[in-house]
Amino acid sequence: MPENDHYVIIGNGPAGNHAAATLRQKDKDAKITIISDECVPYYYKPRLTDFIAGEIAKEDLMVNFQDVKDIRIRCGQAVKRIDPDSKLLFLQHMEKIEFSKLIIASGSRARVLPTMSGYADHLKFVTSYTDVMEYKEEIRKAENFFIFGGDLVGFKFFKMLNSMDKTVTIMIDPDAFWPYRLTRDMLEQISENLLKFNTEIIVKDEVLSIDRQNGSYRVKTRKGIEKNVDMVLSFNGLNPNIEFAKGSGIDIDYGILVDEYLKTNVDGIYACGSCAQIYNQAIKSYTTSIGWPNAVVQGEVAALNLLGDHKIIESVGQKYFDLEGVKIKTTWWEDINEDNDA
Amino acid sequence: MKKNDLYSKEETFFQSKNKIYSAQSVKQIVYSTDIRDFGQVAKSIPCQDACPAKTNIPGYIRAVFEKRYGRAYELNRSANILPGVLGRICARPCESSCRHGETDNGQSVGICHLKRSCADLKPSSHRIIEGLYTPTEKKVAVIGSGPAGLAAAHDLSILGHKVVIFEGMDKPGGMLMYGIPEFRLPRDLLMLEIQNILRLGIQLKTNTAIGSDISFAQLKKEYDAVVVATGCVSPRKFDIPGGNLENVYNGLDFMKAVNEGENPFVGDKVIVIGAGFTAVDCARSAIRLGALDVSINIRKTIEYMRIDETEKYEAQFEGIKTYSLIQPSRIIEDNNKVTGIEFQRTRMEKIDKPPYRVSIPIENSQFSVPTDSVIAALGQSPDMSIISKKPDGMDGVFAAGDFVTGSSDVISAIAGGRKCAGKIDEYLVGKKRKRTVVRLENHATTDRQRSYDFIGKVVMNTIDMEKRLSKSTREVETGYNEDQTHEEAKRCYLCNLKYEIDPLVCIYCSACIDVAPKDCIKMIGNIPVNPDGTYGIYEETDDWNQVLSIAIDNAECIRCGQCLAVCPMDCISVTKTELIEIDT
Ligand SMILES: Cc1cc2nc3c(=O)[nH]c(=O)nc-3n(C[C@H](O)[C@H](O)[C@H](O)COP(=O)(O)OP(=O)(O)OC[C@H]3O[C@@H](n4cnc5c(N)ncnc54)[C@H](O)[C@@H]3O)c2cc1C
Ligand SMILES: Cc1cc2nc3c(=O)[nH]c(=O)nc-3n(C[C@H](O)[C@H](O)[C@H](O)COP(=O)(O)OP(=O)(O)OC[C@H]3O[C@@H](n4cnc5c(N)ncnc54)[C@H](O)[C@@H]3O)c2cc1C
Ligand code: SF4
Ligand code: SF4
Ligand code: SF4
Repeated sequence: MPENDHYVIIGNGPAGNHAAATLRQKDKDAKITIISDECVPYYYKPRLTDFIAGEIAKEDLMVNFQDVKDIRIRCGQAVKRIDPDSKLLFLQHMEKIEFSKLIIASGSRARVLPTMSGYADHLKFVTSYTDVMEYKEEIRKAENFFIFGGDLVGFKFFKMLNSMDKTVTIMIDPDAFWPYRLTRDMLEQISENLLKFNTEIIVKDEVLSIDRQNGSYRVKTRKGIEKNVDMVLSFNGLNPNIEFAKGSGIDIDYGILVDEYLKTNVDGIYACGSCAQIYNQAIKSYTTSIGWPNAVVQGEVAALNLLGDHKIIESVGQKYFDLEGVKIKTTWWEDINEDNDA
Repeated sequence: MKKNDLYSKEETFFQSKNKIYSAQSVKQIVYSTDIRDFGQVAKSIPCQDACPAKTNIPGYIRAVFEKRYGRAYELNRSANILPGVLGRICARPCESSCRHGETDNGQSVGICHLKRSCADLKPSSHRIIEGLYTPTEKKVAVIGSGPAGLAAAHDLSILGHKVVIFEGMDKPGGMLMYGIPEFRLPRDLLMLEIQNILRLGIQLKTNTAIGSDISFAQLKKEYDAVVVATGCVSPRKFDIPGGNLENVYNGLDFMKAVNEGENPFVGDKVIVIGAGFTAVDCARSAIRLGALDVSINIRKTIEYMRIDETEKYEAQFEGIKTYSLIQPSRIIEDNNKVTGIEFQRTRMEKIDKPPYRVSIPIENSQFSVPTDSVIAALGQSPDMSIISKKPDGMDGVFAAGDFVTGSSDVISAIAGGRKCAGKIDEYLVGKKRKRTVVRLENHATTDRQRSYDFIGKVVMNTIDMEKRLSKSTREVETGYNEDQTHEEAKRCYLCNLKYEIDPLVCIYCSACIDVAPKDCIKMIGNIPVNPDGTYGIYEETDDWNQVLSIAIDNAECIRCGQCLAVCPMDCISVTKTELIEIDT
């Protein structure tokens, strides 16, 4: 008798969880496993800033997701390698896991550009629960901040600092908005509108060096600005987590390449959420989507297609995101706050 | 266990082992021509096997560890002729195969950086070693002084033949001189290593192109053998509308101009097309020529770029962006001047023959971007016009390097040149004078410590952006200092040491298996033999009745020595294995 299917999902974010829930809904018997390298249950990343600001409690970070039933969740276990031929996943601690079908929903993490290598050791990033647990107290105590890059997460973080009455210097790099780039006009308008906050804005400049001196950091820019601050945070966009897929035969570029059905070039392997680079028939190009609502829908669609459906993924909520007075057309970001459960 | 405990435990172990082995310290050396030993060497030393010139990598890294940089340099030079050059620009196929880079083992060893260290740190009084054969009175003409021509000339000269190199350009070195930019390869170093080859009595005639200055037929008449090592010098045509406008360059010509000290116009915004070495060098050179916005544009995904990670990293560091899955469809002009370029998007598709994955253009997906110049580095092919038929050695005409293989890399060209010299020698003297054998020597144990396995890769020192821009030829990488070199050398597992269990002494207590850090010691039921006579992959079994032997899989073993330390029967032996060349 053939054994039940074993669907494995890499990643415990919105994409992974909604994929798992959909699989369970449609296939009552299959064995379903979510593997995540984070040691925490499914949580709201977008609420991390409110948590730091002390506006919500730890419990409020957790997603109360009833739909993931009978699903094995392996936390704190990183996938190192995929072998599509033998349908095996290799975990960091040397265990092998067999799958019949696989959904990759490994998300993304802070992008560190090679130009930052000289001072990367002094940077802090806010992309996960672990980061936040590590820096929360430090952020609360610190008075002076230097933020650079300034992607959407960065602006969210900036507003949070502002609400906490911190002194912030923000250096905006139009490239930080990867996968999109700010135009000159957008950049100017954003800077102008940011002036209403208690902040110093630097544009058209670069970080030259960051040194640590008796507990604080000295940031020097190429144009000669010097700042002494308590913390330096980098928000230079996100990079898909795809190292484990390299060399597996699954097509990857910046992210995992999938067609409009979220299928990779390998049968039975799908990818969704912010780790995926998705073919979009309308613009005839691949796009990377970050943002919670897209991850949710993509998780569901990947699961349905894995089970035999042919659903084309469409971007959620064609809308304009208001970034300090500038409307950025986005299909991939929802301004999520505590009273807006996605 | 605390770190210190680990050290002290290992040190006592090595001391006691030394005592045990001291009685046997008389060297036992065996030279083997058994195909199984060649197979074993290839499987156990993956870096060396991946090196086209079969450089003795663990051998030289061990010498570096012992701070014998001169010896390490010679171990390199005996295989690859230009260690200082390769230590900077080698394509490093060895590093992608290094066992240290395998899953769970961390990052590959900085093999290439260590090669550079041998060249940088060897004493100023270093002596080069050459084993010269008696002169043969035979004359060989080598056409082209690129790495392939130089390597062939070197080996032929060693073997006693009189060699003349004909080079069409003003200076020797081929793409080393006219392709690779100076900020990656200083020319004084290049000339020094070329001179070390020419010192053997090789005559170099520059500004002498065969086909125009001297005919090929004349060479054939005057020389006992001719080597065609003319590389790939004909750039692939950039066949799109606008491809021949001013400020649209082909990559090779662009690099040639840069390397001859010219400053070709690039403007503020530069679009480079191509996915190989040349594309990256053009982009990085454009930055040094003052361009503000430079991008590399490729048809496939970034995974398929034919450059190593360091190159990718350095390009990004210099602010160069890479756009993938697009291909140019037309150049946009205004008054004969480039103003922009139109691209078409592509997507990956599977095909049934190599290269299996291709990019295909997507219909109606055109978009355009403004630009001041376009550099198309689409690759190049050999110029066949000087010869009438493909060289096959039959009439004394041989060929080597990129001319034979198509665009490849320096180390493949060197390996090709050396192989070709061997064939020519056989043609000229009527027999094979050298052969490769496996040298096996018993080896007490290693003094490597387990803690070395956890050292992170030492990062190469580089100069900052300001310095890069202030003088465009300034070398970007500055090499490891001596301490960094020593630290990196510690990381090599020394895969040339072969661990073996003597099945006749082994009592199958499996103590070794219990301490092994990897799945390296296996209970095997069968060892299949490959069609070529070498051993295949061990077949494991859980069934004690089927166990043929407990065996160490040298393709998994990281030479940690743990098994040796615990074995109650002392039945694990270590043998140093090396490929060496001997006279026949
Ligand atoms: C501070 C912050 C604020 C944000 N605010 C908003 C907002 O207001 N609105 C909005 O729309 N979006 C917001 N986002 C973005 C949103 O959180 C992401 O787009 C979304 O979480 C992406 O979902 P995902 O499921 O694709 O990936 P993720 O949520 O990143 O989940 C991927 C999971 O996979 C795990 N993983 C990765 N590699 C491996 C591996 N090798 N083995 C095992 N597990 C692995 C990761 O650890 C992670 O748990 C914010 C993000 C951050 C960091
Ligand atoms: C820009 C660039 C960057 C590169 N970077 C790297 C790198 O970082 N690492 C790497 O490993 N490889 C690199 N390569 C590839 C590498 O340089 C070549 O693979 C290698 O040089 C090939 O060696 P060869 O001796 O076969 O040919 P070449 O080096 O091309 O030498 C051929 C020689 O023959 C001469 N010649 C041609 N026709 C005639 C004639 N009719 N008469 C007389 N002489 C003639 C030419 O002038 C030339 O000197 C790079 C190539 C380029 C173009
Ligand atoms: S560890 Fe050393 S010997 Fe082994 S493959 Fe890597 S470089 Fe070669
Ligand atoms: S030395 Fe022994 S224990 Fe260590 S990796 Fe090799 S076989 Fe395994
Ligand atoms: S420890 Fe020695 S005796 Fe025991 S199984 Fe291993 S090799 Fe054999």
